[in-house]
Amino acid sequence: MSGHFRAFSFVDRITSLRDGSRVEGCYVIPAGLSAFPPCLAAEAVGQIAAWAAMKDAGFLRRPVAGLAGRVDLLGEALPGRVLELVADIESLDEEAISYRGTATMGGAPIIRLQDCVGPMIPVVDLDDPDALRNRFALLSAMGVPAGGFPGLPPLPFHRIGGEPAVSVRAAFAVPASAPFFPDHFPRRPVFPGSLLMQACLELAAALVAEVPPPARGEWRLQSVLNMKLREFIPPGKELLLEANLKQCTANSLTLALDARSGDEVVGGARLLAGSGETQ
Amino acid sequence: MTNTPISKEEIMAIYPKIAEIIADALPCEVEKVKLDASLIDDLGAQSIDFLDIVFRLERAFKVKIPRGKLVADARGDLSEAEFEERGVVSAAGLARLKSFLNEVPDERFPSPVKVADIPRLFTTETFCKIVIRQQRAAAPATPPAA
Repeated sequence: MSGHFRAFSFVDRITSLRDGSRVEGCYVIPAGLSAFPPCLAAEAVGQIAAWAAMKDAGFLRRPVAGLAGRVDLLGEALPGRVLELVADIESLDEEAISYRGTATMGGAPIIRLQDCVGPMIPVVDLDDPDALRNRFALLSAMGVPAGGFPGLPPLPFHRIGGEPAVSVRAAFAVPASAPFFPDHFPRRPVFPGSLLMQACLELAAALVAEVPPPARGEWRLQSVLNMKLREFIPPGKELLLEANLKQCTANSLTLALDARSGDEVVGGARLLAGSGETQ
Repeated sequence: MTNTPISKEEIMAIYPKIAEIIADALPCEVEKVKLDASLIDDLGAQSIDFLDIVFRLERAFKVKIPRGKLVADARGDLSEAEFEERGVVSAAGLARLKSFLNEVPDERFPSPVKVADIPRLFTTETFCKIVIRQQRAAAPATPPAA
C-alpha cells in the first residue's frame, strides 16, 4: 500500500477553518505505538497549518519547514489518545506562511509553537495537487480513519567526539529509504525537519544527562528556540550533529545545536533545559 | 514624506537594533554586521535567512515588510519589461537599481546584473532603509498646518 497520507501524516480531521486565519483539527495517535515523540506533535501542528495554507493557495503552493522561533515542550503525547490541533495563521502570501499553534491532549498542553515561518513552494515539485485537494476535502468532511502511521524506524546517531558535559559530536546517517519518504514527499523524498529536530533533541538529552543535576529536581528539555532548516535533506545524507553547552546557571542550561553536511550548516537551533522545579 | 531622502541619522538610529537582529538570525557576532556588509557575500546569508530577518524586523519594528516585493520595490515605477529582459537588468533598470541601492558602491554591481542576484547586493544599510520606508508608510499623515 502506498505510504501517501499514511506514513507521515498527522491530521485525521479538520474540524474548523475560519477565514483562513485559524484552523483546528485532530489526530488519533495509533494505540500500538510505543511512543509518540514531541517532534511529531510539532509536525502535526505544522501539517494542519500547511493544510490551511494549501487551501488558501488553491493547492498550487505549499509551505515547507523553515523557521520555528520557539517550540515549548509541555507534555507527553500518549499513544491511543487524541491530539487536538490548533494553528493560527498570522500571515500568508506567495512566499511564506507565518503561524503559531498548539497541540493538546484532553485540554492539557503537549506542545506550543510560536513565530513559525514556512517558505511556500510550488506543490508540483513535491506532490500531486489533485491528490492534496481531494485529501483536504476528505479531512474537512468526515475525516479519515485513524491508525495509518506505522511508527518511526530507528534513527540512531553515533557519538564521535566532544567533551563530557560540555559538547557532543555525532555522526547521523539519514536513512536511504524509510516508510515516511513516500509521504514526505511523493515526488521528492525529503528527510522531515521535525525528525532532524528529534535527532538533535536526543543528542542534547545525552549531553544534558552528563551535566551535574540542579540543586532540586533534574534537568528537563523545555524549549527549542530559533530552529532553522537551511536546505532540503535528501535520503542517505550523512550529517554531523553537534550540541554545545553555552550557558549553565543554577536552574537552566542553554545549548546550541547544529546539523552539518560537510562545511554546510543545514540546520540549527538553541535549546533551553530547566530544572524540574522551574516547570 | 515617504519620498524624502533617508538621512544618515535615521539610519544610524536603528542600525544597532538591526545589526543585533541580523546577527541573531544568521547567527554571527554582531561586530561583523557592518553597515556596508553584504548579507550574502560577507555574512553568508541564504534565502531562508532573508525570510527570517524580514519576519524578525516586522516583529521588532511593528511594520509590515512586503516579502517577495523587495525586488519589485527596487524596480520602482519601471515596468518589468523596462527593468529587465530574460532575467538580466536593463540599462534603465540598472540606473534605477543604483539609485534605490545608493548605499551599495558601484564596484559591487556585477556586469550584467541578473535579477536573481539582486539580493546579493543587499547590505545591512539596505535593511535599515527598508524598515525606515515601512515606518514612514505606516505613519499617519501629518495634518496640514492651520
